This record gives sequence, structure tokens and C-alpha cells, in this order.
Amino acid sequence: MINSISSLFGIRYPIFQGGMAWVSDASLASAVSNAGGLGIIASGNAPADYVRAEIRKLREKTDKPFGVNIMLMSPHADEIARLVAEERVPVVTTGAGLPNKYMKEWLEAGIKVVPVVPSTGMARMVERAGAFAVIAEGGESGGHVGELNTMALVPQVVDAVNIPVIAAGGIGDGRGVAAAFMLGAKGVQLGTRFLVAKECTIHQNYKNKVLGAKDIDTIVTGRRLGHPVRSLKNPFSRQFQKNEYDSTMTLKEMEAFGVGALRRAAVEGDEKNGCFMAGQISGMINREQTCEEIITGIFEQAERLLNGAFNG
Amino acid sequence: MASNQTLEKIAALISEDREIDIDSITRETTFEELGLDSLDTVELVMAFEEQFGISIEIDENLRTIGDVADLIDNITG
Repeated sequence: MINSISSLFGIRYPIFQGGMAWVSDASLASAVSNAGGLGIIASGNAPADYVRAEIRKLREKTDKPFGVNIMLMSPHADEIARLVAEERVPVVTTGAGLPNKYMKEWLEAGIKVVPVVPSTGMARMVERAGAFAVIAEGGESGGHVGELNTMALVPQVVDAVNIPVIAAGGIGDGRGVAAAFMLGAKGVQLGTRFLVAKECTIHQNYKNKVLGAKDIDTIVTGRRLGHPVRSLKNPFSRQFQKNEYDSTMTLKEMEAFGVGALRRAAVEGDEKNGCFMAGQISGMINREQTCEEIITGIFEQAERLLNGAFNG
Repeated sequence: MASNQTLEKIAALISEDREIDIDSITRETTFEELGLDSLDTVELVMAFEEQFGISIEIDENLRTIGDVADLIDNITG
């Protein structure tokens, strides 16, 4: 399924793999890139040395285009911003803020900058600063979520900017991809679906939780902190929700409660105390597959649907 | 320090655009105190740009209404 986005990014299918902290490492990202999508290494809160090592590992496994996701609230954002320019990373996606202060350096390094945006205003701001495309991510997604949902956000962002829009949030199979194209997106980004990829190195307990999840099994916590997170229901997320309604609990205590929880999920598989970030489509995922199987399957289904859309 | 004129224009814009009581907006008021999140701030900054015919870079130093007014006065000289 070659379209404007896939040729602009030099990839076979117009699909990005979401940058998920503690999840999107060189193993997953290189497998996605080798399967014809755009694999993305997530920097999360990790130091630059980790990101550099992952970039080098990925380059040993693939010569295809790839990206690095930079979480702008990370204490290491400045050094990772320099690193991606030095390493001439083909694509940089950003989350949790406006990347404008880094744009000049990245554009000079020939990087295609694709910020994740939760609103039309943010989309217009980053377009003006030189973004190559934007990822409009709705609140169905896992991890940090915005207020708008994909169905409402994507067409409004498409109308607001003149750069390509990539839809994210709530897309789990070819039906979601086809719908995203109908909304005006030129590409898609999927995160949750890749959690259960065979090349994804997270703890097996994490994968099992996603595989076992039903439609109602995700929950958003942390609204009181100003940065809500969607994750699977478990003792940790239920306690977090209780804390949120506990007026004796300070913001500091709430923050402290969440520290390290994603690592406990992804690395240790701690089913009680981990934060298993995952999107609303978790209930649609029922088997582990390779990245290639995931991507080709999704696009076969999407193409079939798009071709037949007007024929009933 | 920014002129009262700039401050008043900004307060009027915020009040109208975000439906906030204009009397609650002073030089020292922060966006946070007005219940405005980062996305509201982006919308407002674009409205300020349009009103004053300037380009504003959003950064973490823009906390209060006075900060924005100062920046605008600096740019428009």
C-alpha cells in the first residue's frame, strides 16, 4: 500500500510504530522497519547513552529508515535532541510538549520532524516551526493521553494544517487503518498492537495481560496531576484511581506513587505494582505475531475494505 | 514592566476567548490559576499573535499574564 506518506518516508507501508518508553527498543523498531513500516526507538526518561546504544544496535539489524521518539518532559531531552542530530536519525517524533526550540538544529541535520499533537492549535504551531508531518493522537491510545478522541481529532487537524497527518489512538487492525484514511489521515501510528509482537522484548506477563484484556479493561489515571495515562486495570491502576479521589493525598505523593511503575511492568512483569500502559484496542488483540505478520495482515485488510467501501 | 494597555488587551482577549471573568485576571495571575492548560495556552498565544501582529515562542518562562505582556511589549518595542 504505497501512498504519499510511505514514499515521503521511504517505507513500504504508511505505518509508524509508536514510541513507547521501556518498550520500543532496537529489537522492536528494527523488526518494524524491516517489515516495511517505520520503527521508532523511544527515549522516554532514559539517558542519551541508552538511546545512542539502541540506535547503533538498530543500525546493525536494518538499513531501512527509522525514527527516535523524544519525550520532551524528560530531564535528558536536551542531550537526546543533540544526539539525534549528530546521529542523523531520519525521523524524530516528539511527545509531551512543543519541540520548537530544537527544530532549527534538527532541520539542519536533515531530520524529518513529526510531533505528536493532541489539538489543532499544537498542530498549527509545529507546522509553522517546520514539522514535516504531525501525528494526531486521540485519547483511545495507551500511555499519555489527550482530551480529544481520534474520530474527532483527526479530521479537525487535517483541516487545520497543510502537512500530512498521521492518525494514532484506537487503531488496532485494518478496519482502524481504513477508517483513519477516511478521516483524512495519510498514515497511521500503532503502539498497543506491537506490544505483543514476537520481536517486542517486554516481559511475557505484560503481553499476557494485553492478550487477556477486554474492551473495558483500560482506565485513565493521573488527570489530577495534569498528565493522564491510560493503562490496563490492575491493583496498581485501581489504587492510583483511589489516590486521585483522596483529598489528603498530595500531588507529590501521587507522583511518587507512580515513579518506576512502567519499568516494573515492562521489565519485571510485576502484575500488582506495575503500570501496564495499553490502549483501548487491547481487547482486539488475541495472538502474538511477528511484526511482518502484523503489518502485512493489517494492510491486506485495510486495502480490501477501502476497495470495497462503496460496494457494500 | 509591560504597559497597562497591553495588559488590558491581553486580559480582554483571555476573558473573551476562554470565557473567564476579566476581574480575576491580573498581572500576577498564572495561566494555571485561571485553570488553563498547555493546550489553552497554545490557543491564546495564537490569538495574541494575531491581535498584535507578532510571533511568540512559547517557553516555560511564560507563567503569568504579566510575563506574556512583557514579552509582547519587548517584541513590539
